[in-house]
Amino acid sequence: MHKTFLNDLAHAVGPGGLLQDPADLLTYESDGLPHLRATPGAVVLPQTTAEVQAVVRLCRRHGVPFVARGHGSGLSGGALPVADGIVIGLSRMNRILEVDIPNLRAVVEPGVTNMAITKEVTPFGCYYAPDPSSQIVCSIGGNIAENSGGAHCLKYGFTVHHVLGVEAVLPDGEIVHLGGAVLDTPGLDLLGVIVGSEGTLAVVTKATVRLLRRPEKVTTLLAGFASIDAAGEAVSAIIAGGIVPAAVEMMDRLTIDAAEAAVHPNFPKTDAVLIVELDGPASEVDELFAIVESLCGKCGAVTMEVAKDQPQRERIWKGRKAAFAAMGRVSPNYYVQDGVVPRTKLPEVLRRIRALEERSGLRIGNVFHAGDGNLHPLICYDESITGQAEHAEQVASEILKYCVEAGGSITGEHGVGADKKQSMSRMFSPDDLDAMQLVRCAFDPTGICNPGKVFPTPRLCGEVPGPYRQHPLEQAGVAERF
Amino acid sequence: MAMPLVEPADAAGVAAELKRATGERLAVTIRGAGTKQSWGAPASPTGIVLSTLGLNGPVDHVAGDLVATAPAGASLDAVNEVLRRERQWLPLDPPASRLATIGGIVAANDSGPRRHRYGTPRDLIIGIEIALADGRIARAGGRVVKNVAGYDLSKLLCGSLGSLAVITSATFKLAPLPEASATLVASIDDARSLGVLALVIAGSPLTPTAIELQSPPHRLLVRFETSPKATQAQISAAAGLCTAHGAATAILTGRDETDTWKAHEGGMREGLSNVTSTVLKVAVLPTDLAEMLSRAEAAAAVRRIQYAAIGRAALGIVVVRLDGETTAHAAVVSELRRDAIARGGSVVLLSAPAEVRVQVGTWGPASDTGPLMRAVKAQFDPRALLNRGRHAWEAGPS
Repeated sequence: MHKTFLNDLAHAVGPGGLLQDPADLLTYESDGLPHLRATPGAVVLPQTTAEVQAVVRLCRRHGVPFVARGHGSGLSGGALPVADGIVIGLSRMNRILEVDIPNLRAVVEPGVTNMAITKEVTPFGCYYAPDPSSQIVCSIGGNIAENSGGAHCLKYGFTVHHVLGVEAVLPDGEIVHLGGAVLDTPGLDLLGVIVGSEGTLAVVTKATVRLLRRPEKVTTLLAGFASIDAAGEAVSAIIAGGIVPAAVEMMDRLTIDAAEAAVHPNFPKTDAVLIVELDGPASEVDELFAIVESLCGKCGAVTMEVAKDQPQRERIWKGRKAAFAAMGRVSPNYYVQDGVVPRTKLPEVLRRIRALEERSGLRIGNVFHAGDGNLHPLICYDESITGQAEHAEQVASEILKYCVEAGGSITGEHGVGADKKQSMSRMFSPDDLDAMQLVRCAFDPTGICNPGKVFPTPRLCGEVPGPYRQHPLEQAGVAERF
Repeated sequence: MAMPLVEPADAAGVAAELKRATGERLAVTIRGAGTKQSWGAPASPTGIVLSTLGLNGPVDHVAGDLVATAPAGASLDAVNEVLRRERQWLPLDPPASRLATIGGIVAANDSGPRRHRYGTPRDLIIGIEIALADGRIARAGGRVVKNVAGYDLSKLLCGSLGSLAVITSATFKLAPLPEASATLVASIDDARSLGVLALVIAGSPLTPTAIELQSPPHRLLVRFETSPKATQAQISAAAGLCTAHGAATAILTGRDETDTWKAHEGGMREGLSNVTSTVLKVAVLPTDLAEMLSRAEAAAAVRRIQYAAIGRAALGIVVVRLDGETTAHAAVVSELRRDAIARGGSVVLLSAPAEVRVQVGTWGPASDTGPLMRAVKAQFDPRALLNRGRHAWEAGPS
């Protein structure tokens, strides 16, 4: 990197804000997807929006690409550095700036963890709804980039439904405010497209999020089934019954065993478990829960445990949320896939995955958000066996093919990042991808903001033809400038 | 002179018309049922009108997945008629839903009282198909609720007022039709008490689908739609809360309930089509809403014009209608706008006599996002042909 650039960076972020030592840079080589690695030229750790702006302006002036990074827990290489660029680490911008309980809003910096918001507002009987499994460590900035979901997004939606506004630094260094604490900001909904843009449009430096009040009652059912198919039937029956649970999660035998070995949630020793959670006013929850229990029984539940208190509920969820990490107990290595199928296609796709498991000789664990068809197949392999890692990757890719063929998506929550950009063409036509990149060109015409992510091939942002001409209505003063 | 009208029968037809218009440099006014043509600044009266009413193929409903794809030209009621067969619905209740089209509702991001529970089209849309100005067709999102592949253009199109592309179809997540419905009507003395009561209900464990205000007279309509037993239990609890806060209550069900909600919407609908009415949308923090209402009431009273408001009491969104001497409307709008902006909010005209628009403008002052919005517009519609002049940010840099 150019010396002047580095000097200017050091000046922009103050003492301790610039990392160049190879040992320091190591931490930033990858996110939660460790097989994709690159060493950045430098890492900056700004503490204010003004510092982020100064850094981005320098990048723009010197044509240096930058990658914003939260806490690095992403699973698609979205925060993978660019070798000749810098990483803007936002972990030091971790203050909760404002909590407004009457209006159910909080204003936070991007490095605040998802869980920290909920902790802050718990004394007021409130919480922040999106709950990705990594919520203890993942940052709100990262959640915004990935449009994170979680087990409860079936009823409550995703990050995009809970972020009301952001302050962001654009790739040209301008600061903009999109949305805000008040709803219905006039103009285009650019916030709706920034959320989930995987850090390719701007660096979010502040977010206004919506808080929810804790429901009056939460009831959690853990039901064991003799087969995945039977558990799947129960899910369909619940949905067909007009019930939208807060969460419906499913795990198969392999992931149950792994979770048991790791965190001892005391799950039944069945081939499938279903976690169904209802929340809301007590009168409604009680009435609907009886129906859910009866439907699970009719669909062949062999065990049913209803959480009687919060510790019991937490134990059940611990088993589910620990499922990924727990795979380390049953396999030396594993590959986490993230795909989506329409819920009605679940049985068909799971059958294909089982056939693939037999054919490939690799064990595949399945843990998924059954309510919305978001699969997380865990492909077990042993890195020490030559070729097995590549084989696992092929198997994972084959599963994505099944998802797309079933009318689903190549990613439900982990994002495209660097990992799946080549798979985008399976889902979208060149014209689809080109239309998306029109947005990219508007935000980042020089392509310095997290380049090489999301899209298989970057679009050249050509000049817009013709100068803007004033409309007669503007000349007449009927339509005003904005 | 009336502009020539084209009404393509499918997305390919729309794309072909746009390609032709681009080739001939014709401005294109996009129109569904025309129920919200007054929204935004008036579009250029030159070029052609592209009607989306021909896009009226079948609704693709997958009940087991709780999703449906609807063509842009279908009316919301027609779509919900199809979904009802499987006891589901697209939970939107904007005004004029018998006429208003899916494309128009998405383009305007319009909603109604049940926004309180279900949100706006932006919160329900999961996929979109659009025809671009250059004659290409593009899709984003998909047919599954959970999907983070690529940029979410469907949300960008929500509220874009036809300025970026023509929406040809949209896919939504749906909701089960509730088994029961009941509405609590709470009448109270003044706007401030009304605001307090709305926040009390919103802050309770109750889960109404709407907390809607009317003023004057000051009333809250609180709707519950769930299982019969839970509806009953919740409405009793809500009535208790209202009584404790000094409101007189009545519970409506069946025909009375339906009629009350129709009447609630009716006044504003009429205002939107009445050439001498000014209809504006005020957005502020929920805790500021009561104060805004009181001010609006006072501002209208001082100028001796008629004032009526309805809105999402717990969301901070209210639609105000002004009638009477139109020369006084601009002053009221300006006063409210100043106040709303000072509170971080906005006041936007939905419909107004031309002289009011000229005096106060449709959107209010520019924000720091103007240049970025213009850049997005320039990418999607480089020749500024689509609904030219309609949107807030479209004008050149000030």
